Amino acid sequence: MGDCTDKMDVIVVGAGLAGLSTAYFLADAGLDVLVVERGDFPGSKNVTGGRIYLNPVRDLFPDLWEQAPLERHVTRERLTMMARESATTVELQSERFNRQPYHSYTILRAKFDRWFADRVAEKGAFLIPKNKVDDLVFEGGRVAGIVADGDEIHADVVVAADGILSLMAEKAGLREKQQPRHFAVSMKEVIELPRQTIEDRFNLEGDQGLAQLFFGELTQGMMGGGFLYTNLESISLGLVVGVESLMERDPLQEVHPLMEAFKERPEIRVLLEGGEVVEYSAHVITEGGIHAMPKLFSDGMLVVGDAAGLGLNMLMTIRGMEYALASGAMAAQAIQRAKEKGDFSASTLAYYEELLKDSFVLKDMHTFRHALNILENPRLFNLYPQVVCDLFEKLMWIDSGPKEGLFSIVFGEVRSKLLSFSVLRDVLSFCKM
Amino acid sequence: MAIAMNVESKLGLDAFKLDEESHIHIKQGICKRDCKEKYCLFVCPAHLYSVNKESGDICVEFEGCLECGTCRIACRYGALEWEYPRGGFGVQFRFG
Amino acid sequence: MNIVVCLKQIPDLQQIRIKDRRPLLEGAPLIFGDMDKSALEEAVRIKEKAKGTKVTALAMGGAKLKDGIKEALAIGADEAVLLMDPPFAGSDTMGTARALAKAIEKLGEHDLILCGEGSTDNYSGQVGPRLAELLDLPQITYVRELEIEGNKLKAVRNMEESFEVVETELPALVTVADEINQPRLASLRDILKAARKPVQEWTAADLGLSEDEVGAKGSAIETVSNLAPEQERKQVVFKGDLDEVTENLINALTKEGVLGR
Repeated sequence: MGDCTDKMDVIVVGAGLAGLSTAYFLADAGLDVLVVERGDFPGSKNVTGGRIYLNPVRDLFPDLWEQAPLERHVTRERLTMMARESATTVELQSERFNRQPYHSYTILRAKFDRWFADRVAEKGAFLIPKNKVDDLVFEGGRVAGIVADGDEIHADVVVAADGILSLMAEKAGLREKQQPRHFAVSMKEVIELPRQTIEDRFNLEGDQGLAQLFFGELTQGMMGGGFLYTNLESISLGLVVGVESLMERDPLQEVHPLMEAFKERPEIRVLLEGGEVVEYSAHVITEGGIHAMPKLFSDGMLVVGDAAGLGLNMLMTIRGMEYALASGAMAAQAIQRAKEKGDFSASTLAYYEELLKDSFVLKDMHTFRHALNILENPRLFNLYPQVVCDLFEKLMWIDSGPKEGLFSIVFGEVRSKLLSFSVLRDVLSFCKM
Repeated sequence: MAIAMNVESKLGLDAFKLDEESHIHIKQGICKRDCKEKYCLFVCPAHLYSVNKESGDICVEFEGCLECGTCRIACRYGALEWEYPRGGFGVQFRFG
Repeated sequence: MNIVVCLKQIPDLQQIRIKDRRPLLEGAPLIFGDMDKSALEEAVRIKEKAKGTKVTALAMGGAKLKDGIKEALAIGADEAVLLMDPPFAGSDTMGTARALAKAIEKLGEHDLILCGEGSTDNYSGQVGPRLAELLDLPQITYVRELEIEGNKLKAVRNMEESFEVVETELPALVTVADEINQPRLASLRDILKAARKPVQEWTAADLGLSEDEVGAKGSAIETVSNLAPEQERKQVVFKGDLDEVTENLINALTKEGVLGR
């Protein structure tokens, strides 16, 4: 902390993973950093599905993960296609996922972010919760600080780490109004169950965990899906629907009953039995990938994490927290360089984008640039899960009469349901993933 | 408590710090003039929007807002002035 | 004038969950109680009127106090004294009062001690009065209005069904009710500035207190259990004609003693 309270080196708006990561590295380098968080404590406004992949960020924080309050390391991966009255699940159980250092963990953000914030404070950053940044200070066209409750506080750089809606990026003119097409709404419940029940019910040993993704009938043909993550003593269960899909539903219907209908599914109901819902949350998430990103920098400002649109639905995996942590680290690197040069203009801060481009973050965003197009295909959510389940059902079913040959069943299903130009087009588009 | 719940009881599980003033302002003129669909009534996962039967105004029970931002994005007509609640107010997640 | 405000960090009651009738305190953020905040606000208001007034925030608690005290300093306390030492842990109201009294004596000359009428968690309302006894000061409790002129203190007290107006001379101890004021919120700039205000940490040894006088060891009171009241809902639903339903509802509420007392 310097002596002058009217001017900081850097002000970070939002103490989520991206903001905390930025502050962690800047404070470590000796800069005066102020992190402003509007919640009661860091993490108290954050909603996540529930899983962080450590490999991309393990080496960034060598001292962090050992002690971090993460939940279970995921050893079982399930992907479930839901039809009207049936569901087909593919399950991977891998010893590789059970070997240290673990590949991914389930996570509850109110716990983790709060703990991480303490580590950031130990590095010397000044962290103030319960305060909201209302606006930016502009001086000669550059961002020069923040306005909170009428007070102006100046800084060389302001880092917008204020989440997916990033009102800061909007105020700085770094993006247009957000489009319904690019976003989905996620509803989530945390359901408490005794640790032993979770381990028995999901076939887990000790701190092993399970992650399950769902698509199909649960979103009634709309873009989206469901998720289930096992925490130490609770389950995170959620349902995601594209905002535009909801708006195009005819007739329009309320979104919240979808969550209850999902919980009522026989496949889900048994998993939750005896549990107690302890929290209901919701948040928009990005589905637009690289197409929904704002401009990442301007004079005196950088945008990181969700605020920068750094999140991806890769169908099999949902990503975001690693991008948040990594982008924060790169923002810190760019700011340190700007500090050495004594120049915080856009041309110097542009180095942040170069770093991102050279890293897994923007490479992933580029590789999966067609994800949105694929996800917007309604057949993914109605036709295909139904076909897969129907086919499986026919293969397994024994009627009173003689059984049809297996090849004949498969061929019959494929010919009657999948032989069309639109399906062929879909196959070609899936190849782009 | 049972696993099946209506959305009002679900909101009762969350910790909310209530502010006196709403962080969502609705420009009724735009709603009445431009908006036929009333998307806000359908997209809110907390089911906070309703139409006042007498005045036809759109009402929002901002106290139960989960701050998800769906209405902000879904309102194509720019009728919502949506800011985050003041610091220290609004929903406080204990799990997240 | 020197004012000492005593503050206690308590779990944020709005963040506590009840499970099997037990409050789950783990994870609930710590805040200062409402009436403690009112006591601090009152001290700052007096300071704003009377030039040369110094406000000292005095608090006993755990490691989180260091962070929490910034709020008191941001709101307007000039300095803080924190009693953060393992021997203090588990003090009952007597142990707490003993420690606070020693700290106030060590601080030197004081004109006014302000406390909340009770803490928002346990609400025993004991610490203020015990502290006054230990310091041998006149005490005025449950105060909803406070006026200070020169050496004179005039206070309006909340009684069950009336107000009592009392006067005394300084030095004195006053415990305040939450009607006394609406505490301000600390602004970002004030919190930043507060980081430069002096904060001292005193141990039990610094106060000359032995382990038998404070903490769990020095406590006569032991908390045996802490349970939420059982709430049995009758869940009666009246259906039918509106007039009939209304009448049935009124009858039922009258029978329960909710109406028509």
